[in-house]
Amino acid sequence: MLRRILTNALMWLVLIIAVVWTVIPVMWMISLSFKTYGEWRTPSLLPRNPTLDNYIMLFSPQALGIFIAYTAILEPIVGPLSRTLIISATATVIAVMIGFFTAYGASRYNSPGPFTLFFTLLTRMLPPATFVTPIVIYFTTLYLIDNIIGLILLYAATTVTYAIWILKGFIDAIPVEWEEAALLEGASPLQVLFKVIIPIARPGLVVAGLFIFLMAWTELLFALVLTNLNVPLSVQVSKYVTAVGALWGVQAAAALLSSIIPLVIGYLIQRHLITGFTFGLVRG
Amino acid sequence: MGGEKASSEKPKKFDPDRRQFVITIGSAIVALGIGYALGYLTKPVERITTTVTKTVTQTVTQTVTAAPPSPTPTPVLEYPELSDVARRAVLGVKKLIADGVVPKGATLRILHVAGSKAQLEKAIELWSKYVPEIKVELITMGTEPDVYTKAMSEAVTKTGAYDIVTIFSTWLGDLVEAGLAKDITVYFSKYDPEYVGPNAPIEPLGSYTTLYKGKRYALTLDSDVFTLTYRKDLLNDPKYKEEFKATYGYDLKVPDTWEEVINIAEFFTNKKLTSPRGGRVWGAYFYVEPAFAAYISWTNIFLEAGGILFDLETMDPKVDSPEGRYAFDILLKLKPFMPPEAISAAWADLYDKYIHGESVLTAAWPSLTKMAISSPDSVVKEVTGTALMPGVKLEIGGKPTIIRASPNPVNWVGIVSNYSKYPEASYLFLQFMTAPDIGLEVILSGVILDLFRESWFKDPKYRPKAAAGYGAEFLDAYLESIKISYPDFIIRGGPEYASKLTTAVNAVMAGTMDPKTALSTVAAEWDSITKKYGRDAQLEAWRALAQLFPEPIKMAWKAKGYMK
Amino acid sequence: MPEKPPRPIKILSSLPLNLLLNGVLIIPFIIMIYLALVKWSPLVGVNWWNAPFGGVVNFQRALSDSRFIEALGRTALFVAIVVPLELLIGLLLAYILQKPFRGKRFVISLLIYPLMLPPVVVATVFYLFFQPYGPVNNIFLQYVIGPRALNIYWFLDPTLAFITIIVADTWQWTPFMFLIMYSGLSAVPKRLIEAAEVLGASEWTIFWKVRLPLIKPLISVAVILRSLEAFKVFDYVYVMTGGGPGTSTESISLYIYRLAILYSDISYAAAVSLIVLAIIFIVSYFAVKILVGRR
Repeated sequence: MLRRILTNALMWLVLIIAVVWTVIPVMWMISLSFKTYGEWRTPSLLPRNPTLDNYIMLFSPQALGIFIAYTAILEPIVGPLSRTLIISATATVIAVMIGFFTAYGASRYNSPGPFTLFFTLLTRMLPPATFVTPIVIYFTTLYLIDNIIGLILLYAATTVTYAIWILKGFIDAIPVEWEEAALLEGASPLQVLFKVIIPIARPGLVVAGLFIFLMAWTELLFALVLTNLNVPLSVQVSKYVTAVGALWGVQAAAALLSSIIPLVIGYLIQRHLITGFTFGLVRG
Repeated sequence: MGGEKASSEKPKKFDPDRRQFVITIGSAIVALGIGYALGYLTKPVERITTTVTKTVTQTVTQTVTAAPPSPTPTPVLEYPELSDVARRAVLGVKKLIADGVVPKGATLRILHVAGSKAQLEKAIELWSKYVPEIKVELITMGTEPDVYTKAMSEAVTKTGAYDIVTIFSTWLGDLVEAGLAKDITVYFSKYDPEYVGPNAPIEPLGSYTTLYKGKRYALTLDSDVFTLTYRKDLLNDPKYKEEFKATYGYDLKVPDTWEEVINIAEFFTNKKLTSPRGGRVWGAYFYVEPAFAAYISWTNIFLEAGGILFDLETMDPKVDSPEGRYAFDILLKLKPFMPPEAISAAWADLYDKYIHGESVLTAAWPSLTKMAISSPDSVVKEVTGTALMPGVKLEIGGKPTIIRASPNPVNWVGIVSNYSKYPEASYLFLQFMTAPDIGLEVILSGVILDLFRESWFKDPKYRPKAAAGYGAEFLDAYLESIKISYPDFIIRGGPEYASKLTTAVNAVMAGTMDPKTALSTVAAEWDSITKKYGRDAQLEAWRALAQLFPEPIKMAWKAKGYMK
Repeated sequence: MPEKPPRPIKILSSLPLNLLLNGVLIIPFIIMIYLALVKWSPLVGVNWWNAPFGGVVNFQRALSDSRFIEALGRTALFVAIVVPLELLIGLLLAYILQKPFRGKRFVISLLIYPLMLPPVVVATVFYLFFQPYGPVNNIFLQYVIGPRALNIYWFLDPTLAFITIIVADTWQWTPFMFLIMYSGLSAVPKRLIEAAEVLGASEWTIFWKVRLPLIKPLISVAVILRSLEAFKVFDYVYVMTGGGPGTSTESISLYIYRLAILYSDISYAAAVSLIVLAIIFIVSYFAVKILVGRR
């Protein structure tokens, strides 16, 4: 009995430490976003003169003169935010869909085979810097520069392997008998796919989707190189700099704001993380 | 799950099965076609420009005449309120429009860095008053490496996406050799931006920031000459003067040599003073940070000691030499009297420390002085003094002479893209925005572009405005500093040469490498860079650049036999 | 299950993948290989398709480049430290959070929040954290070692700088491991757990003999994916240490970035990248075989 209490207490302690460890930098970021320019380099956890200037800067950049070194007037953050939303959402949908079908075929029929699957990992193995010049050359020919379609395709192509591998892990764990039973009852292979597999593989879909969404949401290098005027959010945040250094407070504010959408998504998907195993298959 | 490899396994690229091969290639081609179509159909439309159109409250009431005059002087002077340089630019553009070379409503695109946006927008505002037919659009990047990356990208893809690029003079060699920077020597002759005469950009800066291998490739927008910034109150304090004289045997004054800098730095660091915000006061703060600036301090001392970067006959690196060792010697002696963060923090930390009163002697760009006298956070507004950079005592012709030179790192210049649709109009925009009258207004409306024309320092028409922005004492010291300023490594590979040097200097300061190894490593690395691009080509550029160095340095080189 | 896949599945499972990857990535990849085999840089002044042939020159140069080899070793060391660390912490947290309690969804959202921030911003935050005027020194100051803490300069010492990067990476990516393993653990059928409990197994045994084997494939996937990403660590090094002091914390990704983008040494950078790619390829081939092999 005592053992149980001790173990429980220990687990609670670890959890609390983990939460505190996670939260401290975030709290510091939040306070940074409310600090005035002069306070950015101080260790204080709470701002002495809290200000909304950093946030105002994001939405109505005409508020010049807030920052001493004549910062650049940029477009309000709404534009890049919506652009990034479209890019990330579309890329995620494409990648997850393609990844799902591929994972199913690989898991059940070895089509594509294990070697191909392994090959898709190649897309994640390459340090991105050298890929910049070839991609720029290629996309310029295809008129995909400064074009959200270019980024969507690039992100989908480079993250689909995540979807494949994560989903394959989940699909592998589903007993084949259920599909065979459904097939015997006259369902078409596609119906099996949609009505049997998807509900059970939902956690996989959701986890893979979230990661791919996040990768597209925060990617910077290619977004920078492949766009000029239609910039996504990550590039926009990098532009909050002045003649004497980065506007840390504004960047913190921008990062916090831009993390709200992924945060909401992360919260909503959680009920899908519990699989339908407990529901069991009642038929047959 | 079908343990043995089923017959339907098809490894992607290595299967000899012809069908799979065809599918792979076929899908690549199909996807290429689809991508091309998609991209073409959805490519971003030519933007209607969004120039800033604030209503200008200047006292100009002259209406622009309808008939565009020719650029040669006519009996009736168009735009009498403009300087000659600006007028020639405006008239030149009007002629281009009239001749149909540039259509009305055309857009010029400028690639630039965020920090310069305020000043460029001022330039655009003034431009659109006189030349509303041509719009100017800004493509803004967050940091300088981003501008470099985009410019290089454009050099490779040649899309004509930018007409003008504002770049660091350091990159001029790279961008000329990459084919992006257009040779504008012919425009210099045609439109005369007055690089000679009382209005000229101060020599040698006007030359070395715009010439490459003897031809003009840029107009300078800026100057970035370092001056020695010091705490007047501390150096003039009678108590400290007394103690200093007692300890070191000579009067406390603005240092003339680096050895004197070390003494002053030691003296004040040992006083263990504290700043108003509770930080420690250090005697000195010179750049030794790893991201890019460490090479500045080292090269400054090296050149003043008479060192030459590359042999003028063979392009061999000459950094592993007594002058190179001397430079490290000085820096290492300074190290205990500089804040340890100097070795790891970003360049803005130097600014932060000085304006909060935590360093006594320091050196940086003109923006440091501007910030010190006008930032609300600054505690040193009244007590900032400016002087020439300290020098090195050498024997020239039997006489001991102090050789002084000021670094001019980075320095924004404007280039015209070789792939621009309207190169002449682009050039004229640059000439307009750097004209004696327009240029001063542009510079005074922001921070990162600084004064470069001599008339701004001397001409009573301009000097009061400049003094209001920078402080009169600073102006005089700054003018002298520009006259003895030397260029960055403005040859092909300049950024790489500088970067390798910075890494080595930073390593030595951090204690992870000893000076001897550092110097030989840098020499070897520089040599392989030179080999990469061709010794002769590099030598040609270096020889041309060496001629543009300031007199004191050339004098030292000649005295040491490095230069004939 | 029939051996051969039915028509629609066969098409769906390979055609879209082929279209996407081949259409977007193959041609640039071929261009990259071409660039590695020539001697070209934009600064040389010729068009890239006219570049002089170089053969294996770039590869030979890479093999004798000590900065490259050190960066490789350093990055490998980084991965070897960071991935197991994140795995263990993530697994521990995933296990602890199996028990339902009020506000669990909120806590999980909190724990995975680090993933939602751009790595650049996280790097900036930790950069400010480890400054002499930052919270780390000023909190250490109060609790652990007293006023001397103010004199610790994290970015001046190669080892300390390395530690800061490990801290930043761990902070941001442990939630990745946690999330995967949490979803995996949640998928373990309750009936199995109940059966084991009925048989009298202790919680420890249940963990080792029931839960762990069932999520092993997911652990392998997580480790492989995370290791691949960790090897490419860039943002933290770039922002926090700049590879310094000197080059003592330069990761391979940063070195390649400098080569390709700052020095415009495109051909050499391509060759270096291909060597790195080949090494990772071979290593992960064996890793996958061992970890996931049975399938």
